[in-house]
Amino acid sequence: MDEQQNTTPAQAAETTPPPPAPQPPKKPDLKANTSILSRREFITLLIGAGATLVAAATLAEPLATMLGGLPGGADGHGSGNSAVQWAMVIDLSKCVGCKYCVYACQATNDTRTTGRWNIMITDQTAQGNTFYLTRPCLQCGNAPCVSVCPVGATYKRADGLVMMDYDKCIGCRYCQTACPYGARVFNWTDREALPNPMVPEWGTPEVPPRPRGVVEKCTFCVQRIDQGLANGLTPGVDPAATPACVNICPVTARFFGNIKNPNSTVARIVSTRPTLRLREDLGTEPNVYYIPPEGMI
Amino acid sequence: MTEHAATGLKPPGVRGASWRFWLWVALLSAGLGIGLISILMVLLNGLGVTNLTDHLPWGLWITVDLSFIALGAGGFTLSAMVYIFGLKRYEAIARAAIWVGLIGYTSAMLALFVDIGRPDRFYHPMLYWNVHSVLWEITICVMLYSTVLIIELVPVVIESTRLNNSPFFVKLGHNLHRLMPVVAFVGLGLSLLHQSSLGATYGILTARPFWYSPSAPVLFILSAIAAGISAVLATTIVSGRLMRRQLVPKDIIASVARFAGFAVLAYLYLKIWSWAATNYYSHTPGQVSGQEILNQFTPYSYTFWLGEVVFGALVPAFLLLWNRTRRNPYAVVLAALMIIAGLVINRWNMTLSGFVIPLDWSPGVLDVFPVNTYFPSLVEWGVALGIVCYAGMVYTLGVRFLTLYPNAQPMDAPAAAEAPPEPEPDAGPPAPADQATVTTAV
Repeated sequence: MDEQQNTTPAQAAETTPPPPAPQPPKKPDLKANTSILSRREFITLLIGAGATLVAAATLAEPLATMLGGLPGGADGHGSGNSAVQWAMVIDLSKCVGCKYCVYACQATNDTRTTGRWNIMITDQTAQGNTFYLTRPCLQCGNAPCVSVCPVGATYKRADGLVMMDYDKCIGCRYCQTACPYGARVFNWTDREALPNPMVPEWGTPEVPPRPRGVVEKCTFCVQRIDQGLANGLTPGVDPAATPACVNICPVTARFFGNIKNPNSTVARIVSTRPTLRLREDLGTEPNVYYIPPEGMI
Repeated sequence: MTEHAATGLKPPGVRGASWRFWLWVALLSAGLGIGLISILMVLLNGLGVTNLTDHLPWGLWITVDLSFIALGAGGFTLSAMVYIFGLKRYEAIARAAIWVGLIGYTSAMLALFVDIGRPDRFYHPMLYWNVHSVLWEITICVMLYSTVLIIELVPVVIESTRLNNSPFFVKLGHNLHRLMPVVAFVGLGLSLLHQSSLGATYGILTARPFWYSPSAPVLFILSAIAAGISAVLATTIVSGRLMRRQLVPKDIIASVARFAGFAVLAYLYLKIWSWAATNYYSHTPGQVSGQEILNQFTPYSYTFWLGEVVFGALVPAFLLLWNRTRRNPYAVVLAALMIIAGLVINRWNMTLSGFVIPLDWSPGVLDVFPVNTYFPSLVEWGVALGIVCYAGMVYTLGVRFLTLYPNAQPMDAPAAAEAPPEPEPDAGPPAPADQATVTTAV
């Protein structure tokens, strides 16, 4: 349209200059001021967007492989093809709420009383039976804390343990926000000069205390697992290679082992008895299984 | 003389400033002092000086951080309009928007620096990448976008200072200015990414039904665009009144205000549908019990409906979209302040609602998990005050020393840059002529 209007007056300029003149000034001026995108700009944008899409599509797969896929893994256990997946079974029908596991954990992992890794709550079944629920970190297969950490300070080992790198953590506390189980604890202050009240009665610290400003969590006593395996022991069978909370339980309500080994205690319990996991609806695939209290299933 | 009028007034500097200006600077300095002392207390003693807990680990500072990022969104919006969409006339306000943007982003980074447990490791996201984390992406985008804002401001700084006498810097500024479309495009991309990811920070968390929502990222970016433009409008109009200058032509103010009105309307539209889908029509236990808890323990319902919806979006949308109120600078400032207040309330509600409702992971039937409560400690308020005063101080200095408003005119001279379609002089009170001439003389 514009081109036609421009050419006709140019050709007819000699004969009749005045008639076409009054029209143009209105329209183009208004357009120049109000239209957000000219046609040319719009087409350029479209081409640009198309090129970006094509580039993204071709780059997507190599990028995905480079970045190592999504955390957690699609198999729900996050350990991929590893032959090991450490898991715990807690028998709520046996637990008497003595809190020995809570105390042993506090001593062994040198946590604060206000920042315990393993806690106990008292709750009731629908029939009114009181039961005691202890909760370590559930070492989720799809751990929300791992995917949200901005610096990868929390990560998943091949054996399924969700670990913390205390030297990387910046203390943003997004992992605390993301954990559905409140299993993570932040070091709000410097470590008190006070001695750990659970030492030495309930054990001796096996790991150094964490500095102020980082988030910490239960590790299934990874120091025992790693050292035990190096010494040829079997975690879950040999006490020296088994988490402190499992060893101390006076009613044998806690079991530990490699759930991918069908002969392990945990694998046998999970395959033969009804068990539940906390908030299964969230799809986090916890690796702590609970034998329900009486009257729940 | 006419040439001088076309390029606007020089920034006034501080020489010969009124006693009100110095009082304002003194107040800001006092706030900054309180902020510095508070920040020092946090750095020395750790986050134990806050009222945050393991069950409610984010609070006032995250609200401050989210709000300032959103208030900085005017920068990318207006520079995209000018440099990408070619709406050159908005250049009259784009520089100020970029300045407000940089203030927003530096304030937010300051808040985050204090808020993380290990400020000494603030650079870790650059070294250790978790590309799956929205928070990592936000951190990187915020840092890159701050760089973009600085690049966009270099020509302004060169033009406004003695650097303008050096041929090298003049050339540098000129070349940078020619790069602006590219810079603005990068800035637009980065902003769209992290402004929405901030909403995703909450929206992706399945364990908290009150947060988990696909609309959170879009709500965040829409409200940020509305509030970011509002921040530029409010600061521009108010400081213009105080300095007795028409910093930006009235028709530009009006059309930017209309844009903010549409943005806040879009925000309101999605907000209502989001509320309907996740709340009104949802009877999932998490939603229902969560709403009950919030109603019982917090003023969430009132602040949501009155603060966020009615006075934070509906009324200002009306004020900015109705022709008569849009032409009145007082109505525009009022609407802008309402949008800003609504945004801050929204960011506070968003952060707190998810935490106040306790996580329930027990298979039992009792309410064993206590409702989490929070009120910021004195130190937290002190840090927040310091950051707000930092923002006010940097804006004040910018207006005084930089040519943020290239089309500034004395308030009583409507001639040169003013657009012709101005049928009647609107409700704005005519500035006292003698005062205006005095300022012009300075």
